[in-house]
Amino acid sequence: MTTTINTVEEHLKPQPATEPRWQGAQFLTQVAVMTGRSLKALKDPRMILMAMFQPLIMLTLFSQVFKSMTQTPAFQAQYPGVDYINFLLPAILMTTGVQAAMWSGGGLANDLKNGVLNRFRAMPVSMLSVLIGRSLYDVVRNAIQLSVLAIAATVVLGYRGSLTGTVAAIALSLFVGWGVSWLFLALATWLRNVEVMQMVGMMAIFPLMFASSAYVPLDGLPGWLRVVAQVNPLSYAVDAGRGLALGTAELAPFLNAAGIAAAFAVIGMVFAARGIRKP
Amino acid sequence: MTEYMIEVDEVSKTFGEVTAVDGVSLYVPRGTVTGLLGHNGAGKTTLVNVLSTVLPVTSGSAKVAGFDVTAQAAEVRRRIGLTGQFAAVDELLTGHENLVLIARLLGASGKEARQRADELLEIFDLTDAAHRKAKTYSGGMKRRLDLASSLIGHPQVIFLDEPTTGLDPIARTGLWEVVENLVADGTTVLLTTQYLDEADRLADSITVLSEGSVVASGTAAELKAQVGSRTVAVKVADRGDTRLALLALTEAGLHPVHDEERHTISAPATASTDLAVAVRALDAAHIEVAELALTEPTLDDVYLNLNAAPAA
Repeated sequence: MTTTINTVEEHLKPQPATEPRWQGAQFLTQVAVMTGRSLKALKDPRMILMAMFQPLIMLTLFSQVFKSMTQTPAFQAQYPGVDYINFLLPAILMTTGVQAAMWSGGGLANDLKNGVLNRFRAMPVSMLSVLIGRSLYDVVRNAIQLSVLAIAATVVLGYRGSLTGTVAAIALSLFVGWGVSWLFLALATWLRNVEVMQMVGMMAIFPLMFASSAYVPLDGLPGWLRVVAQVNPLSYAVDAGRGLALGTAELAPFLNAAGIAAAFAVIGMVFAARGIRKP
Repeated sequence: MTEYMIEVDEVSKTFGEVTAVDGVSLYVPRGTVTGLLGHNGAGKTTLVNVLSTVLPVTSGSAKVAGFDVTAQAAEVRRRIGLTGQFAAVDELLTGHENLVLIARLLGASGKEARQRADELLEIFDLTDAAHRKAKTYSGGMKRRLDLASSLIGHPQVIFLDEPTTGLDPIARTGLWEVVENLVADGTTVLLTTQYLDEADRLADSITVLSEGSVVASGTAAELKAQVGSRTVAVKVADRGDTRLALLALTEAGLHPVHDEERHTISAPATASTDLAVAVRALDAAHIEVAELALTEPTLDDVYLNLNAAPAA
């Protein structure tokens, strides 16, 4: 080691002036660099495959088990002549997007154990860029998963929604998932525990998924559950996505879903940015 | 006038009820090394975290490289490097990717970042491992990558928090040489350590922390002088002469004590001539001496002495 040090010790010299050599990257560069850092995880496809497994199973099972749902009066009244798979896929797209938000929290909790985060805190770097990088990575990963789901449903299960509508539904799911993910990112910066994050995620997501219009039309739910499902923000997203895919889009659920997701994003960002500064 | 690169003025840091750093003042001149010595929980890491803008101060003020750590944190961050107790590297990235990442965040272009990464990989003898993931690195290699990451932006002040903990002796010596080179080039270093030999070798000035407060500071020599005096230590060749030797030394005006276990007679040396006095007395009594030495107090003595004292 000694010899190499002596020959190249020039490079260790601090700059003579008090001005540092570099002034710190612009915020957008920071975000790009942080996103690139997170995206390197995509080189390992196991995470994506694992995360895909559950929605694929749910899509396959539910499309068979609940097929007879189309015979019920509630379904026929609200969705006359609609195949169950066409009714189900947009909902699975939304629930998968929201589940991915939950995974974001676990992923960040894991990343927070990475020593390099400590270095960032003592650098001219906004810790918000770490969070944004993480959430953009989640959006990319989610986009891959949702596309695979839609293609599998079309090829294997006979899904026949409108193409542009389905793409729009995926885009909405990505936005909703992104918004919700900020709540979980904020939680992760304060809890800092992967297991706890997964438990919290499960507890929050499962009731939201089932007490909603995702698998059964609202009118097909028992009275008290219908009330819950009506105020469940996930129902707005499901209704909006379904409207897009079936070509019966209405503006109200779309605006509700996007608005709530945006609000979650802002609230989550504020708390996450504060939480992540703690070493 | 001395230019101070680290100025700490009555800084305290509390976590709820716990006071981790309690009214510490510290001044580090440019191009020197100050060693923060203390056991676990003495507040060393907390102080480093405050000075490197990772933690906000509770009270008091501190300047690093001439900028206030609270009001001008961004300026401070552009001028410092921090190597913490646990390697702050991304184990999922390769060594090269780690260095490029940090350089890009500091504002280097892609090309500059790759150049700087290659330079530092060479300096730290990591070129062969450059494209391996950092998680495959040994402890010493991770430490070197960690230090290399801290040096990317040519920092004026470097914080080294227990940099050699867990390293093997060769890696330790290598790291010391790097630090010495940095200092020779004008970098200012604040080093925390539990190892007295490390502080003794690297630090121009030592500050001893205990329970968040400064309990002693000065050069290694000054600290040693504070604790006890030097001693004259004698080993007689024939154990039968021990009594005779004690008598001869006492008559010469010394106050010898016999340590049976180590078979050594020692006497505090109050004057610089005491060694000569002992030699003459033993010679006059015809006692054959196996070993005779004037021993300096070690930093261990300083350390143990200060930490044994109840915190005021």
